Amino acid sequence: MSSRIPNSLEELPVSEIRWIGKGVERLEDPSLVTGRTEFIDNVVLPGMLHCAILRSTYAHARIVSIDSSAAEEMEGVYAVITGRDAARLTNPATTAPEGWGAYCLAHEKTRFVGEPMVAVAATSRYLAEDALELIIVEYEELPVVANAQAALAADAALLFEEHGSNVMLQRKFTWGEVDSAFDQADLVVSDDYRWNRLGANPMETFGCVVDWNPADDMLTCRGSFQSQSYMGLARSLVLGLPSNQVRMISHPHGGSFGGKGGFRGVDICALLSKAASGRPVKWIEDRLEYLLAGAGQSWDREYTLQLALKKDGTVTGLRVKLLDDMGGTAEAFGAVSAAKPLAAFTGCYAIQAAEYDLTLVATNKVPQSPYRGMGPPPHNWVLEQTMDKAARELGLDPAEIRRRNYIPADAFPYTIASGNEYDSGNYEAALDALLDMADYQKLCAERDSAQAEGRLLGLGLVNTIEPGVFDWNAYAIVGLESTGVPEGITVAIDVMGRITARLGFSLEGQGQYTLVAQVLADYFAVTPADVSIVYQDSLSAPPHFGPGGSRLGVAITGAALGAAHLLERKLARVAAVLLQCGPDDVELMDGFLRVRAMPEAKMHFAEVAGAMLARSDLLPEDIDPQPQATYVWTAPGRTPADEQGRAKSYLTAANACHLVKVEVDPDTGTVDILGYWLVDDCGTRLNPVTVEGQTMGGIAQGVGAALLEEYVYDESAQPLTSSFMDYLLPSVYEVPRVEKKALTTPSPFTPLGAKGCGEGAMHTTPAAIMCAINDALSPLGLSAREVPASPRRLWKLLHENAD
Amino acid sequence: MGERKISRVTVEVTVNGRRQSAELEPRVTLADFLRVELGLTGTHLGCEHGVCGACTVLLDGRAVRSCIMLAVQATGHEVTTIEALANEGELHPLQQAFVDKHGLQCGFCTPGFIMAAAELLERDPDPSEQALLETLGGQVCRCTGYEAIIESVRDAAEKLRQRGVGPLGLLAAALEKKAAPSGNGGGE
Ligand code: FES
Ligand code: FES
Repeated sequence: MSSRIPNSLEELPVSEIRWIGKGVERLEDPSLVTGRTEFIDNVVLPGMLHCAILRSTYAHARIVSIDSSAAEEMEGVYAVITGRDAARLTNPATTAPEGWGAYCLAHEKTRFVGEPMVAVAATSRYLAEDALELIIVEYEELPVVANAQAALAADAALLFEEHGSNVMLQRKFTWGEVDSAFDQADLVVSDDYRWNRLGANPMETFGCVVDWNPADDMLTCRGSFQSQSYMGLARSLVLGLPSNQVRMISHPHGGSFGGKGGFRGVDICALLSKAASGRPVKWIEDRLEYLLAGAGQSWDREYTLQLALKKDGTVTGLRVKLLDDMGGTAEAFGAVSAAKPLAAFTGCYAIQAAEYDLTLVATNKVPQSPYRGMGPPPHNWVLEQTMDKAARELGLDPAEIRRRNYIPADAFPYTIASGNEYDSGNYEAALDALLDMADYQKLCAERDSAQAEGRLLGLGLVNTIEPGVFDWNAYAIVGLESTGVPEGITVAIDVMGRITARLGFSLEGQGQYTLVAQVLADYFAVTPADVSIVYQDSLSAPPHFGPGGSRLGVAITGAALGAAHLLERKLARVAAVLLQCGPDDVELMDGFLRVRAMPEAKMHFAEVAGAMLARSDLLPEDIDPQPQATYVWTAPGRTPADEQGRAKSYLTAANACHLVKVEVDPDTGTVDILGYWLVDDCGTRLNPVTVEGQTMGGIAQGVGAALLEEYVYDESAQPLTSSFMDYLLPSVYEVPRVEKKALTTPSPFTPLGAKGCGEGAMHTTPAAIMCAINDALSPLGLSAREVPASPRRLWKLLHENAD
Repeated sequence: MGERKISRVTVEVTVNGRRQSAELEPRVTLADFLRVELGLTGTHLGCEHGVCGACTVLLDGRAVRSCIMLAVQATGHEVTTIEALANEGELHPLQQAFVDKHGLQCGFCTPGFIMAAAELLERDPDPSEQALLETLGGQVCRCTGYEAIIESVRDAAEKLRQRGVGPLGLLAAALEKKAAPSGNGGGE
């Protein structure tokens, strides 16, 4: 059934908005701060066994033999499975691009260090790990493909022999008159860049408890699933079960950022459970497993970027060449990250000719997974840093070259070269607000005098788009072709007039349940505390996807408003009977169903619902007496991708402008962030406090990306970053204090004008810091073109080039 | 095969004011003892190698990482976990401050931060920026970007100072009340 979803706050049936747009206290918090939230590792089921996984020690090797007999005989061990069992009982993972998947346990050969080889279920994790020590695997080493360049070599070993090459995807997309833009350019600026692997590392790793009931062949998976419906469908394909026999129960999780993963873990536990006669099997990935081979590795990229410019700084053409090292398989959907830049390929700029020359290759590293931002953060960095280079060559200020290329505020909705449509924005206003807030002129003067003294002080000014509310069509070029992503909510009123919302995603920290409560509280003129949010499993909840691609805030607002409106119409029909007037004469206002022409004739919605629940005998037969309604929201107007990958994909385009002041220490190569300012615009802020939280979290991850985080592999693809002592996460010392300001350009396309904002500053911060470092290095004629700009890397740059 | 004899040791610890004893393998960590044996699952494990601080609990009032300490090492000591902080549904000022200042998102790191902050504020009710950074610098949060956590701890410090009590003092008072003989023998 269709529903009317208010586009602005004024359309809500209340005379005063009390909750939406306010920093409402989060419903989630009391349980979290007291340690009561049911994270997956808290779950204990009767008869539950614990899984431990033996992992490959080689990057590329044939499996000659596996002897697990001693482990099988160990007291407390109930099941041991290998790749043979996986090949016998399951299908290889479905992947994008298609055909690059493996079984959940390595079969015949292993493609990366840390790949699961053998799994054990025992009565405790301690015992299960003991059992792993009794297993002997004999390997025959194969030549290793250690990086993307090596993957392309003519004599490279093959990851998947059947493909005859390590190239997963190679295609050039051309949008507009690119060649002529470059031919007619006054200036072409170009550079090469390297973004090294990094990844999500939520504080809670992945975990699951799986039981495969032999009696009815029902698979029940509990776990920290980011999208239970998606995870469930994939399991039904891999395990060969009908989709309605796979029940996913998602637990609140300790962060995800796209990198929760867990596909193989669930499949392994399912097989172990089957082997152990249906006993539930728990696997909690430990941090060493996560760092070694978890879903925490993304974006391993070599870029060449070219800009065609006119003398006045107008950019007329953009060429991006990307070689991305996807790792051993495509099982974790990391390729999506190479496709998503299409949603905002030209950033904030009106560049109508662009080209994307994309190569994805398989190597003997861990398969790439998504990570917050899903691919644009490196793309934004190379674009923005090249804009600065062009500005330098033209003698323009970084602010000025950007200003000259912005999509003008009156040009929205605006279709960019790569096909997506931006909903709204005012980039120049954001820039001006930022320059004003930070006193840019003064900062520039300070920078100039510091540089005159020989200090390596620099400013980075960048602006980016955050595509919000994803659609699958954005990833069509890597093989995910469908359109439309549903999110449903059921809203019900009980006999005491209390409201319950039922939905299909669990908590991961962005305060979504609070948002649903805020929306419903304003719709029915109650308080958020009067609303209960009930999570439902994948077979019980209305159609849903859950968090991902900066979509959930907008999607659940649409779903909650849609369901509330349908419920209002039902209540109005009943109220019309009770108040003896026509249904169209009744409206909801401030919690009362009232007769339009006679507002004093009214009933509270709780009374109407009570009548429906208790006295359906009084109602006409064609009235559904349940005071509840379900609405499934999906982004309107999405279009399938054309042959060049162009589609209306992401529904919203938030924008942000960041300014950073850094100083590089020439003796140590360390970077100090001395100041940080930002202005962002994500439309209507439904809960400004949580939006700000997302921004700050994104800045922290951006600082990590620019300066600290990197998965290092040696030349035989052995990982060297195996603990948090090697893989460095930003701490309170590295994350700056930030001066912020918000602008509001509502989206014309979304419920209440909100835009997706969950990935936030991750899109912008790495670019801003890198541009600042390069500004600091520019008097020396040096440029830093590798991320992270770690102390070692900068020190080498400074000292190897010193005269 | 299968004849693996694993010795056991007796662990006797006071946890949140209650004496606990258990026979355990000596290799069982304090975190696993708390979470698995005692069901105190508010103490979280983020790394199990001593870096992230999610597992922070207090041992005789001092912050320790329960993932790299064996349960048996806690014998004879007093352990305090996040579960001891709220008093009959009323949040501890530290917990309330995290709620008020949005000092958490996913909340997985939060118990560790709160316990670390409890130790700090007990010893230093009005911590300098430096002291705050030193304590919080040992805890990792992947969600918040820390700004709001710093605000939360500052806010809690101020509220506690107004009440003239330390975070653990407040706790001790609550535990004493709970431990007092029940029934109507209170006797005025
Ligand atoms: S879990 Fe103990 S320090 Fe990370
Ligand atoms: S709130 Fe998620 S890790 Fe800190």
